[in-house]
Amino acid sequence: MISPAWGQQNLDAAFRSTGSAVVAAFESQRAVLQTSSAVLLDGREESGYGVIISSEGHILTKASEFLQLKKPTITVDRTKYPDVEMLAMDPEWDVVLLKIKASGLVPVVYAPTSAVPQGTWVVANGVTTRNARRVLTGIVSANIREIPVSGGPALGVVLKEGSKKLEIEDVAEKGGAQEAGIKKGDVILKVAGKAVKTISELSDALKDYKAGSKVEITLRREKKELALSVRLTAKSELFTEQANRNDQMSGDFSNRRSGFPRVLQHDILGTSKIVGGPLLDLDGRCLGMNIARANRAESFAIPVEDLKTLAERLMSQKPTEK
Amino acid sequence: MRARLKFLLFTLLAWPGLSAGERLPIDDKQAPETRKDLEAIQSALIAALPKVRAATVGIELEEGFGTGVIVSADGLILTAAHVSGGVKKKITVVLEDGTKLKAQTLGLNSETDAAMIRITEPGTWRFVEIDRNDSARLGDWVFALGHSGGFDKNRGLVTRLGRLVRLANSTFQSDCILIGGDSGGPLFDLQGRLVGINSRVGNEVQENMHVPMSEFVGKWDDLLKGEFIGEGPFTKKPVKGSGFLGLATDARPEGGLKVTKVGKKTPAETAGLKEGDVILKLNDTPLAKREDLQNLLKEMAEGDVITLDLLRGGKNETLTLNLGAR
Repeated sequence: MISPAWGQQNLDAAFRSTGSAVVAAFESQRAVLQTSSAVLLDGREESGYGVIISSEGHILTKASEFLQLKKPTITVDRTKYPDVEMLAMDPEWDVVLLKIKASGLVPVVYAPTSAVPQGTWVVANGVTTRNARRVLTGIVSANIREIPVSGGPALGVVLKEGSKKLEIEDVAEKGGAQEAGIKKGDVILKVAGKAVKTISELSDALKDYKAGSKVEITLRREKKELALSVRLTAKSELFTEQANRNDQMSGDFSNRRSGFPRVLQHDILGTSKIVGGPLLDLDGRCLGMNIARANRAESFAIPVEDLKTLAERLMSQKPTEK
Repeated sequence: MRARLKFLLFTLLAWPGLSAGERLPIDDKQAPETRKDLEAIQSALIAALPKVRAATVGIELEEGFGTGVIVSADGLILTAAHVSGGVKKKITVVLEDGTKLKAQTLGLNSETDAAMIRITEPGTWRFVEIDRNDSARLGDWVFALGHSGGFDKNRGLVTRLGRLVRLANSTFQSDCILIGGDSGGPLFDLQGRLVGINSRVGNEVQENMHVPMSEFVGKWDDLLKGEFIGEGPFTKKPVKGSGFLGLATDARPEGGLKVTKVGKKTPAETAGLKEGDVILKLNDTPLAKREDLQNLLKEMAEGDVITLDLLRGGKNETLTLNLGAR
């Protein structure tokens, strides 16, 4: 490999840091992904991954990606599970708890802490073959931190222009307003008990809330007043963000890539489809769950401590009504 | 040839006691094979990071943000030419903890994208070792640092691990994934030696280009002197006469130019010039007529640093500022 100093020299693809010869060194971590990560399929198309958290088939994955799937099925190891049930969801972390009819699965082993030094190897699912998982590798690449909502929280409504009141002209699909049952023609009167009359008063009243949190909105519908608890939605979830220069050079990235209470950042190079699966350390233990590809250089995972708490909370919740 | 030998001697004298560039065993393996090999990479990287992070700085630009790295205790910084953007300009650099420091751009090579900056505040700075012996080889494990997408104190610097995948004249390519904001940032070997400066990316994510250290070492004296080398493409040479100050003056019979008007949002206003100030000298040249000032400015360009000797309220003051763009 060491050749005379000058002239052009190229490293064979196999020996690049994502090349087959290098990735082969991660066989023991790949074996963990084979049994403890789930592959989400939409029809025949691979559409993300999941973290297996119980032997009876409880799986965590990214909610906003899962909800996009038309005909979700799951593969674990080599077994296909056609029936996928949605048990509970956490909009703040963008995580959904799924259940497949299975037994004897191998849940992930949680790492004791996500506070590992920067430069620690991490391993995640890459695009798989029908029967075998493949790995993508990288390192922990920045400080653990909160990712504030990009563009701030929103109700998910369009207000009528030129109206002297806050009359709703349209309700965005997938937004908190729609979930809460807000309708066209409703007039917003109060946010958390405080009267709002103009758009700027409304946005002022909302600006200190986080996306994912709930706020009480008082409305007038026809002649009645009613108060609804509305989940605030990240603006980036409702509208396609305008791509900046860095986005343009990033290829694809996750639709939702902000508004997370805490993330572990790594440099694994994948597509926006690689989220939802576990992030492993060299011992094959779960350091977290991949939740967003922010851009070509930055990917986020929910740190293991938060993932454990989230898993316990979602497991103890009653199934969501649909 | 003779000049080159002289120069090499100079650099050896200036940087005594550097390691001779021993290589890590892992760099001589085609690929890691065992858990032990992976741990060798991981432990070297973890050990190297704290020291090199302390020497890596953000660079505030008029538009956007870049990165650079301190290479001497007295605050010499290496970065990319398209980041520094010009020679002898006043700029601000930021340590990872958010400390802002005044600095000035030195020389740049617009053909290779190499540039130098110096911190102008007194102090002793943490710095990294340069790979002066050109010891980096194809396949070496390397890592890049940068303020990807701009400074973010909570996030800190972003690290990316990869290998040197292509060596060509005046360019190293690695598979450390770079993005805007990483420009000018350092590329290190696993021992924390600086082997390159982040420059640009290609269409593919695997195409991440760095300026090799040899490009800095080979032009060290010129860069240090503040020379603008080459005709691009990474930086455009400023055009003479493009410098803009933004004030009106009247000559005083006893010499010096009295400021009669300071334009809004001009370099003169930013620097704090006020109506009534008297400009006695520009860069030590006395000014007697308005044409004296005009003739001096005609020879200068956007971004040039000028020093003005002023008379303000009967007292002598000195003001240093960058000329703006006309």
